[in-house]
Amino acid sequence: MSADLQPPAGRRFIGARQEGRLSYWRRLDWILLGSGLILSAGSSVFVWSASRSDLAGDDPQYFLNRHLINIGIGVVLAVVISRLDYRLLRAYTPLIYGLAIVGILLVYTPLGTTIAGARAWVKIPGGFTLQPSELAKVAIVLILALILAEKRDAEAEPRDRDVLLALALAAIPIGLVLLQNDTGTVLIMCTIVIAMVAVSGARTRWVAGLLVGGATATVVAWQLGFVKDYQIARLTSFVNPEEAATTASYNATQARIAIGSGGMWGEGLFQGPQTQGNFVPVNESDFIFTVIGEEVGFVGAAITIALLSILLWRGMRIALASTELFGRLVAAGVVAWLAFQMFENIGMALGIMPITGVPLPFVSYGGTSMFASWIALGLLENVRIHEQS
Amino acid sequence: MSTAAPPRRPTPAQRRPQPRPIARPLRLGNARRRAGVLFIAAIIVLSAFAVRLLEIQAFRGDVLAAAAVDQRTTTLIVLANRGDILDINGVPLASSVQARNVTADQTLIEDPYATARDLAPIIGGSLTEIAARLSGDRRFVYVAKAVSPEQWRQIDALGLVGIFSERTTKRIYPADSVAANVVGFVGADGKGLGGVEYVFDDVLAGTDGWRSYERGAGGAAIPTADMSHEDPVAGSTVRLTIDRDIQYVAQRALANEVAASGAESGSIVVMDPRTGHILALATAPTFDPNDPGSADPADMGNRALSDAFEPGSTAKVMTFAAVLEEGGAAPSTVFKVPGALERSGKTFHDASEHGTYKWDLTTILSQSSNIGTILAAETIDQTVYYDYLRKFGMGEPTGLNFPGETQGFLPPMDEWSGTTFPTLTFGQGFSINAVQIAGAFATIANDGVRVPPTLYADSATAAEGTRVISEHTARTLREILEKVVADDGTAPMAGIPGYRVGGKTGTAQVINPECACYDGSIIGSFIGMAPIEAPELVVGVTIVRPKIEQLGGELAGPVFREVMTYALQARRVAPVTSTPSG
Repeated sequence: MSADLQPPAGRRFIGARQEGRLSYWRRLDWILLGSGLILSAGSSVFVWSASRSDLAGDDPQYFLNRHLINIGIGVVLAVVISRLDYRLLRAYTPLIYGLAIVGILLVYTPLGTTIAGARAWVKIPGGFTLQPSELAKVAIVLILALILAEKRDAEAEPRDRDVLLALALAAIPIGLVLLQNDTGTVLIMCTIVIAMVAVSGARTRWVAGLLVGGATATVVAWQLGFVKDYQIARLTSFVNPEEAATTASYNATQARIAIGSGGMWGEGLFQGPQTQGNFVPVNESDFIFTVIGEEVGFVGAAITIALLSILLWRGMRIALASTELFGRLVAAGVVAWLAFQMFENIGMALGIMPITGVPLPFVSYGGTSMFASWIALGLLENVRIHEQS
Repeated sequence: MSTAAPPRRPTPAQRRPQPRPIARPLRLGNARRRAGVLFIAAIIVLSAFAVRLLEIQAFRGDVLAAAAVDQRTTTLIVLANRGDILDINGVPLASSVQARNVTADQTLIEDPYATARDLAPIIGGSLTEIAARLSGDRRFVYVAKAVSPEQWRQIDALGLVGIFSERTTKRIYPADSVAANVVGFVGADGKGLGGVEYVFDDVLAGTDGWRSYERGAGGAAIPTADMSHEDPVAGSTVRLTIDRDIQYVAQRALANEVAASGAESGSIVVMDPRTGHILALATAPTFDPNDPGSADPADMGNRALSDAFEPGSTAKVMTFAAVLEEGGAAPSTVFKVPGALERSGKTFHDASEHGTYKWDLTTILSQSSNIGTILAAETIDQTVYYDYLRKFGMGEPTGLNFPGETQGFLPPMDEWSGTTFPTLTFGQGFSINAVQIAGAFATIANDGVRVPPTLYADSATAAEGTRVISEHTARTLREILEKVVADDGTAPMAGIPGYRVGGKTGTAQVINPECACYDGSIIGSFIGMAPIEAPELVVGVTIVRPKIEQLGGELAGPVFREVMTYALQARRVAPVTSTPSG
């Protein structure tokens, strides 16, 4: 037990804590923030490279400018959220959850709009669109943390009733997103749920049950034909992209060709012919990794993966260092989310995961996704700051 | 862990002394272990990425990069400008101009009918046809080929989505059907398919260049990528010996006569005997090379070169040339010409029945007596006679290498029967084309030296002339030919005031290819030259299967006069310098 009472190793500010509250800036995890900033700043170059030929005759910096604005808004959101009072965050969680559900439902109103087969966007005034399902990930993380941490002090693990409630609350946004044909986001949300239930200390049968149940549901959906043919084609084309003649297989093939032609050092910024020729679709967004692979080669791609790994490592550290279950669950949920989304995105660019169309956190062009990434980072910082006060 | 567990339900009092750091120790073991598992899973995934990245970029990089270059490199053919075809004075008969092919990306066109409605007034054609070409999933189709730059400017100004153009050239024939049967025509791909366009296709076409560039998925060139190119080499100009104006007059006169006589076809050859230059080579009916698609293929060749026929009486000049040159007879030598003559079991007649006349050689030719010609020819050896036919170019290719050209048929001596020689002497039993027989007259006109006919003014190999008969024989013959157009000859209507003109009529039976027999229709011809003193022009007129019953002189004589009159003026040939000899 004494080991448990010891503060976790690696906490730096033990001495400082004894003197009282540290300043906000000193309590920030600068490595976490730094890797996020480097990723987003670097991504601007690749977004610019990928998008400047998309608007022939118009402003070639259209996407770049919007991307930079998105990053700015994202960073501000992260700072605001990291400074939020911890208790306030818990208090607002039900409200955030409710707003997320409303947001997803808005997609089904005339405000909703369909992009690339998924009805997942909401038009907002000023020509902007929002993707409520991106923000719903934040809501799922918070609501699960709230429910699963809501146990009596003496209880070692969440009660089955709490787990059931958590699953039920998670199932609502997941089900709605599934109806939008946004398979990638559904997979990420399910991963968040399983990871958080596991980290909450819930009984092993819950974790095992969720894993088995998820697999069974997939098979049943497949067998009963709930999954549409194009979805199957999309999911299976990555195995043998050269043979399947679908849009998805075209994407997979082109992604591989673009990354492959980068070689060790890449073709050079703005010099990747496959990127400049727009062979890979949405290469400023979902397939941004192909731009990195082609233009700055293995070295650049490896640095990108390394930066994302640092981000995950810092997140994991914050989760493990957290002494409060709510904070730990939030941190674990965020890490699971970012890790799986990153895995999904890079995996599909590399042809080892199905093409599901999720953005690369902190890197891909796309406002809501960029906001969500930075909100996630803000949540991690919030947990850390709270832990050190 | 249970040993140090705090009370399950701490009272407020218990909690107060130690509110921080931890109210109650978390059961970290389970959660930590699970977090550890997740972390290891993440490490494995990252390792998989690294391995995959290495595989794609390091090990398969070359293959994938090659595939990339392959799919984005496009090589465009840059068409070489086709050379012009000019007449002898440099007037263009065929020329190439800039044009545009209108193309479409069907996937970009939302409403094919709306787009077709905009295009139809400019490019012509039916609305449904154009709309059909715009409908579908193809990224590249031709909507209209070779529209003018002005038409394309109009289309471009409409700003139609999905409509594009590519540069091309269009072959135009400014003189329309004038010299069409010499110049020929090109196919839709710009390759020569007839006439000079075909013969000199390699020279005219030049060498196409290419432009290689890298283009993106949308088809636009990638600005930062490499480009390479090779410029096209324009085709050379071919200058013909044809004089467009003489050609025009010849075609007009011929077309009129063919129409008036209800003839099947006809041809005119105008030559400069001194150079062999063919100044006009008209055939009727003709066609418009600007619209070869709607022409009758039979009218697109050149009948003066492709149609073989028995020359008939015009060929008698060669018999008389041989007889005079070999000394078998003189112009004044008198022959007893019976009304019928039997040779090897066959009886020969003249065109009209007559009793026995005493005609000198001049009269025999001017009256065109077959029997007299046979008798005159019998004054020389058959072998010698045969050699003269060969030297005059009978049975030999003209050397023009024109597509579809015939060299006629002259039976070799070892296949001769007893009737062959007498038949040949008056122009039957062998076949020629119109240029060949005109060439025989040109030899007589050129004082006995045969210069092979040519259509190409800048021909590097100016053919050497070969002497066939002496200058004296040639002059003697020309003076006899002058009698033909005299008032008592067979073609007085061929005479031209102010010039001394000579020539010979011909009225040959046509062999019907279906029955291999004479079916009563004729080929009427007149071949003449002027001025007789030193001829500068030879004009041969051939009218095939006229419906009206006329002899060669009546059919072809007036046409000859019209064309020769114009040609003499066009070539600025001085009028009469001497008077006919007695």
